[in-house]
This record gives sequence, structure tokens and C-alpha cells, in this order.
Amino acid sequence: MTTRERVGISEYRTASAPTELVTYGLGSCLGITLYDPGSGVGGLAHTLLPKPKSGMDTSRPTKFVDMSIRLMVEDLVGMGASRERLQAKIFGGANMFAALQEAIGESIGQRNINCAREILDELGIPVAAEDVGGNYGRTLVFSLESGKVTVKSVREGRHETVY
Amino acid sequence: MTYKQLTEVHLDALREISNVGMGHAATALSQMVGQTIHLHVPKVVLADIADVPDLLGGPEQVVVGITLQVRGDARGNILLVFPLESAERMVSQLLSRDRECGLFDEIGISTVKEVGNILASSYLGAMGSLLNLTLLPSIPLLANDMAGAVIDFLLIELSEEGNQALMIETEFHGSGSDEKLIRGHFFLMPDPASLEVITSAVGGLNDNA
Repeated sequence: MTTRERVGISEYRTASAPTELVTYGLGSCLGITLYDPGSGVGGLAHTLLPKPKSGMDTSRPTKFVDMSIRLMVEDLVGMGASRERLQAKIFGGANMFAALQEAIGESIGQRNINCAREILDELGIPVAAEDVGGNYGRTLVFSLESGKVTVKSVREGRHETVY
Repeated sequence: MTYKQLTEVHLDALREISNVGMGHAATALSQMVGQTIHLHVPKVVLADIADVPDLLGGPEQVVVGITLQVRGDARGNILLVFPLESAERMVSQLLSRDRECGLFDEIGISTVKEVGNILASSYLGAMGSLLNLTLLPSIPLLANDMAGAVIDFLLIELSEEGNQALMIETEFHGSGSDEKLIRGHFFLMPDPASLEVITSAVGGLNDNA
């Protein structure tokens, strides 16, 4: 039977097929999946901030995009994933309030997206799919069996798209 | 001052201030919607940021959330959360129109934002005059979406400084029949940096902190 494990805000989880990893209600937060199709091993992170800046609290590194990606890669390789086969997908990074963006310039969602692309590029991990930006929330269900990520949203009617 | 340094005395004081603020806000809302608004006992919750969406009924719960920043002598955020049906009922009562019109046209959205504005202003006004602080609400922002998505930008802000959120919560509900009942949650989320301002304004409570 498929078990489903929940990934909370500011954490990541790794698992192997046939587990499903799920995270709920991403707004400006960024969801990142890493997957090795060969071994069926993968991970899902629910991150809040791009990377630590001076003065920021770093007691929980997994709230940052850059730290989560790096730590997840290490964990997955330790679980038997092939570093070379890893593929990434990124979701979320929305800007829920248009008025907020005008006030602060580049939104935090966009900064999270940019940071993920940059770190993945640096590590040589291809971005196989993404569904980012916009002004609505997303829930992710990541199947370690297929590597597919189902994105659910509720803005203007319920929608489900598989990436 | 950090959230961890808060004592029972501080928490009591925060509950009490919130009671006063919420009393005024409830009166304002009662007058607008023409039904008595009942308040539950305020709760002060110090929660891990990861657990906050669960306090709002679960991260996937679809809600209408209104947020306002608190500015002036102390800083923080106000968050008002209505179940979708309650927000729709408010709009239909305030605009005397059919619910079929739907909530999310421009006038409906402005109406709900204005409700948020009036509640936050009366709350902060009462709290400010009690503590002799100037507290002003920013313009309200509104989103109708999953609770987790509506509030995560507040958690992002807090996560720069730590892993916890301080939430002073009051649940309220109206007195109409089931089809007309309005219910919601009001949260004050003071910034850690402003806790000292608030607690010392409450009356030298800092001395034993």
C-alpha cells in the first residue's frame, strides 16, 4: 500500500517508491522535488527563504532554498540515488497579494524561484518541470513510484495538473 | 526581547489587551452586520512556524484571509480569517444583495477589506489608547485561497528571525440562524522586536522579565 508522508513548512523529507510525499498550501514558499528515476529515491522540501543573509536565524537550515537542496542531495546519495541522474522540479513562489509586490519590488516568491534555479544550475541538476509564480496557492503530491508531481490549486475553481 | 523570554505574566497581559481591543472590534462588527457578535476567550499561542497553518483549520482549508500590518510605536501583523461562506454572508448582508452575485467581484472584495480595516482600526485604537501607544493599520490585503498559501508570507517574515510565531487569537461568531451565521478568527501577531514596547507599556512588567 502507498503510504503518504506530510512535509511541513521549513522541512524536507526523503523517501523511496512507492511512498508519496505531500506538502500543502504553498504560497510564496517554494516546493522543490529531487528524484532519481533509476532507484525511485527522492525528496520534497517546503522552503521559505532563498539563502541565509547576515543577521538571519539559521538554527533550522531547512527553511532556506539553498541549504535544503544541498542537504537533500547528500541524503539522497546516501540512500542510494545516483547524483548524475537526479532531476529537480520546482513549484510555488507565488505572489499572493499584488499590492505587496508594488511596495517591495521583487517578491519573495520570485527570489525563492531564482535562488532554486541558481543552486540547481550550480550543482548540475536539470529542472525537469516547474509551475511557479502567479497569485494562487498550490498543494503538491509527489509520487516516488512515478516521479510525477500532482499540483492542486483552488483559485477560481479546483484544478489539478500533473508534472 | 525574544518570544522565548515571555513569561506567564506577559502572556496574561497580552490576553487582556487583546480582550479590550477585540471588544471594540466586535461592537463595530455588530453594528455593521446587525447581529450581536460573541467573543470566545482569547488564546495566546506560541507556535512553531510549521504548525501555524494547522491553527487556521489546516493548510488546505479554503479561507478568506485579510492581513494588515501594524505600524507606529509597535509593529506586527493582524490576520483575519473567515470561512468562505461567512465572508459571502457578510457581503450579501452589507450590500443587501443576493449571494448568487458571488463575493469576488471588485465591490465584494472591497467590502470584505473594509470590514477588515474597521475591525483592525477599532482593535488597534482601543489597544493604543489603553497602552498610550500610537498603533495604525496599513491598507488591508485580501486573498481567497488555501490557508497555508494565504499566510505563508507572514511566516516567511518571521522565519528570518526565528522559527516561532506568537499569535494572540480571538474566535468570534454572530448570533443569526445557521444560514446567516458569521464566524471568524482574529489574530494579532506582534513582531519579536515590539514585544518589549508592548509589555512595558502594560505596566513595568519588564522589571521581572
